[in-house]
Amino acid sequence: MNTLNKLTLAMLVASLTACGGDNKKNNTTDPVVDNNETPIVDKPSIDQQAPIEEAGLTKSDIAVSTENDWYKAGESGITAAQANVDAIIKEAGAAKNVILFVGDGMGISTITAARILDGQNKSMAGEENSLSFEAFPFSGLAKTYNVDAQTPDSAGTMTAMMSGIKTDVGVIGVDEDIVRGDCSTVAGNEVITALELAEIAGKSTGVISTARITHATPAATYSHAADRNWEDDGDMSTEAKDAGCKDIAAQLVNFESELQNRYGVSVDGIEVVMGGGRRSFLPKDASFNSTDAVSAVEGDRTDGRNLVEEWKTRYSTGVYVMDQAGFDAVDTENTPRLFGLFNESHMQYEADRGNDVAGEPSIAEMTEKAIGVLDNNNKGFFLMVESGRIDHAHHAGNAYNALNDTIALSEAIQAAVDNTNPEETLIIVMADHGHVFTIAGYPKRGNPILGKVVSVGATEPATASDGMPYTTLGYTNGLGFRDLGAETDADASYSAAADAGRKDLTSVDTTTPGYHQEAMIPLSSETHSGEDVGIFAMGPGSHLVTGTNEQSVIFHVMNHAADLVNKAEATAN
Amino acid sequence: MSFKMNSMVVMTLLASSVQAGILPADQASNAWFVDAQEAIATKQTQATSEKAKNVILFVGDGMGISTLTAARILDGQNNGMDGEENALSFEAFPFSALVKTYNVDAQTPDSAGTMTAMMSGLKTDVGVIGVDEDIERGDCTTVSGNEVVTALELAEVKGLSTGVISTARITHATPAATYAHAADRNWEDDGDMSTTAKDAGCKDIADQLVNFESYLEARYNVDVDGIEVVMGGGRRSFLPKDAAFNSADAVSAVEGDRTDGRNLTAEWQAKYTNGTYVIDQAGFDAIDADNTNKLFGLFNESHMQYEADRDNDVAGEPSLSEMTETAINILDNNEKGFFLMVESGRIDHAHHAGNAYNALNDAIELSKAVQAAVDSTNPEETLILVTADHGHVFTIAGYPKRGNPILGKVVSVGATEPATASDGMPYTTLGYTNGLGFRDLGDETDADASYSAAADNGRYDLTAIDTTSPGYHQEAVIPLGSETHSGEDIALHAKGPSAQMAQGVVEQNMIFHIINNALALVKE
Repeated sequence: MNTLNKLTLAMLVASLTACGGDNKKNNTTDPVVDNNETPIVDKPSIDQQAPIEEAGLTKSDIAVSTENDWYKAGESGITAAQANVDAIIKEAGAAKNVILFVGDGMGISTITAARILDGQNKSMAGEENSLSFEAFPFSGLAKTYNVDAQTPDSAGTMTAMMSGIKTDVGVIGVDEDIVRGDCSTVAGNEVITALELAEIAGKSTGVISTARITHATPAATYSHAADRNWEDDGDMSTEAKDAGCKDIAAQLVNFESELQNRYGVSVDGIEVVMGGGRRSFLPKDASFNSTDAVSAVEGDRTDGRNLVEEWKTRYSTGVYVMDQAGFDAVDTENTPRLFGLFNESHMQYEADRGNDVAGEPSIAEMTEKAIGVLDNNNKGFFLMVESGRIDHAHHAGNAYNALNDTIALSEAIQAAVDNTNPEETLIIVMADHGHVFTIAGYPKRGNPILGKVVSVGATEPATASDGMPYTTLGYTNGLGFRDLGAETDADASYSAAADAGRKDLTSVDTTTPGYHQEAMIPLSSETHSGEDVGIFAMGPGSHLVTGTNEQSVIFHVMNHAADLVNKAEATAN
Repeated sequence: MSFKMNSMVVMTLLASSVQAGILPADQASNAWFVDAQEAIATKQTQATSEKAKNVILFVGDGMGISTLTAARILDGQNNGMDGEENALSFEAFPFSALVKTYNVDAQTPDSAGTMTAMMSGLKTDVGVIGVDEDIERGDCTTVSGNEVVTALELAEVKGLSTGVISTARITHATPAATYAHAADRNWEDDGDMSTTAKDAGCKDIADQLVNFESYLEARYNVDVDGIEVVMGGGRRSFLPKDAAFNSADAVSAVEGDRTDGRNLTAEWQAKYTNGTYVIDQAGFDAIDADNTNKLFGLFNESHMQYEADRDNDVAGEPSLSEMTETAINILDNNEKGFFLMVESGRIDHAHHAGNAYNALNDAIELSKAVQAAVDSTNPEETLILVTADHGHVFTIAGYPKRGNPILGKVVSVGATEPATASDGMPYTTLGYTNGLGFRDLGDETDADASYSAAADNGRYDLTAIDTTSPGYHQEAVIPLGSETHSGEDIALHAKGPSAQMAQGVVEQNMIFHIINNALALVKE
């Protein structure tokens, strides 16, 4: 652009110099009156009619600005923004692959704080750092409320993202006509999900979560339930079971046949499933315990079914893994189907992963492995990856684990970028909702994000009106202060009652894994928040996320980019 | 570019129309589904262009993401809606970005450093105005050579009309960063400066506003005609510290703060004999925009009133939307176009006072001002940017049911009585992490009334308290003399030429470069 403009300017100057005299004569003696008369001189161009010297300052006039590195970076930013606009791929169906990353509870403040911590871990001041997805070309904001809730939960929000409609809090893959918990209201209110459409369209499909794979967010990709808590049959009332409703684990293992029955289509089932939650797939009987069991009786099922065995029987060429060694042995090029259940309940927090009984992969490792399996299909794939425990750490009032799991998600996204073709892969990163998590005070640049506020120019912590220091990070509500030192399991805070209000932090190291921030309103679990969350996107259709959106728009972005409905229709007919 | 062409493009580009078969009919006809599909269709056909004639930058001081959401809900509820489904005027803009707000030396920034970034295209230190990071805050001798040019100054040199509006003092950090250069944001008048600074030749911010034309001409050896429209509060920095100069709108016994004896309002009127100087609603209402070539409005001794408190102004004052509309009507008399900056300065002040009511009401008034700008300009030639300088530690908590009063106590889905915390007491949806904390001031519409008592942190029994009243101040956990800014990213909403440059996550100084791209302010 700069070259072009300079060239234009040079031509303008040259033409003015060459035609100056005639131009003056033309202007003074021959105002434009008669269009038919051929002018004596060349017809004046627009350039010649323009003022010779347009008012304005040049770059050299404002060298203090234009030689400043921030200024130069801003100029480069405009060039990059223009390139992003020029590279937009608008056509429906241009995305062969779609990957949706969900940071559960990863609100705007979590992203900023994680960016700073990640930068500080790399010896930067921190604020200038970018998480992998913050370099994506387009962003937007999403309104997260559920149909019946001002501040939402993961079930209603993920149903919005996966099915293109908002619905009630607490329900999975059904519309707002549902009555939560009432099985009889499910039939006729089930909505189709982007994963189901991709499956029908012949794409490969995958679901990954660091939470239980039956938890609300992953469940909303493949199941339909009047209550998110129906993770296994032991969680359901007899009434609901008698009325024919299936638990979420059963719906996952029987996904192929249930989808075929519902729509009269032929599909081959989900190719990749990885996460925690083994308990909902095993009978409540110690003899079914795995070597990775934590509880005396690992399984929760009361119907005696072993869904892991059912899956293995159905998919005899599939690979079932439950620990790091099994995961590492998976050869993606020769694995048609992968089922990984790495924990009895949720997988470990990333910082706590070393403490897993039998070892388990990181979210980045799972993402790379999943793409390795899924991209064997030349029709493309749909993959949903949830970092489920950002949310859990916040609920426990522990910023350390929330931020570390966000950084792990950022690494997983980078793995996806590195393993896909950007011209045919739409990658969307967003949250389902935020948390009441704030970045407070006036800490100086580079102040440790998990530390106490130290003001600009100071070396000792600032004090509040009560004379005590305070942390940059904090929560409005929840369990409140804990000083658990080296403890890397955020959930350790649940062993004691909520302890709201102020503590003297003078001799407390607030940057430890086990530090839990102060809170004002005592609650047994810190709550979600209601403000908008960020959407970050790259690849075909990514330009559609800009502005402020209802969360249900995300389905439609994916549907447009991969043309899911039309491709599913075409395949089915 | 035309809408007719766009509707043809939508047919070919948007293949995902509703079809019978796999997609359940109830889903395809569901209002959420249909609305979202239409949103995609609109986005697909969004026209873009590069060059603007006019640029309007709206800054909601302290208007973080949580403030936007809460204000949207309150605005909706004020209009009989549930609220959550509402959209503030600028939330309908097609383009957006997230903005990193930190200053060069501060993790969580202030308005001086952030507005310098937006107006001059580079980040700088906290607390300084229109100078780069080589400055030493408060040291006059470091100003010279570190002054950076602003978008308003560049527009002025280019021959565009220019305007600055704020509901804060017009010498306050945000408006000051459009026209002034100072080693300290607090140099609002000469009485705020050390003798050392004055002796070293530094000028106070009010002086720099009134002498903007001659200072700019001297600095760059150019010929300009000065700022056409200036409106806001802060009269005190323009008047001598002498009761004889009090206006009819004075609040204090001695309105003026200047110690040099100068009356800058008189200087302005002497300089611009065709200009109009106003101090109240009556003067404002009498303005004939098409025949006014310069307007100087100083409607309050200090900050203008909170929107909810405006009726309590001594001599009356216009709303932000009224000022915006009048400013545009004067500025658009220039066929070369204009640059206008409009700040809603008191969203920030209400949050500092721990009073969500006024923060949200002032954010709603900003939304109206933005709508007035949309209605008064040609969208094909006007870039409108709406952003904040930074956020506040302000949260929307708990699990309130849909349509629950945003200023009320949390009432859960399916419930009719407030939920209680572990201490057995109800709690509000809105809250602050720190600040002055709980106040129950009833009908008081001035958020600043909370400063008359010390910080009072911790929990209160809110059972019998109406938390939706103007004078209710939310609880806070960390007691501070003033609730603080927050460090998380804020939003940028954009429409018009070059609005498509608002993308992704950007450093705050990108906003200048978007304006520059639209107006070609810096000559190549």
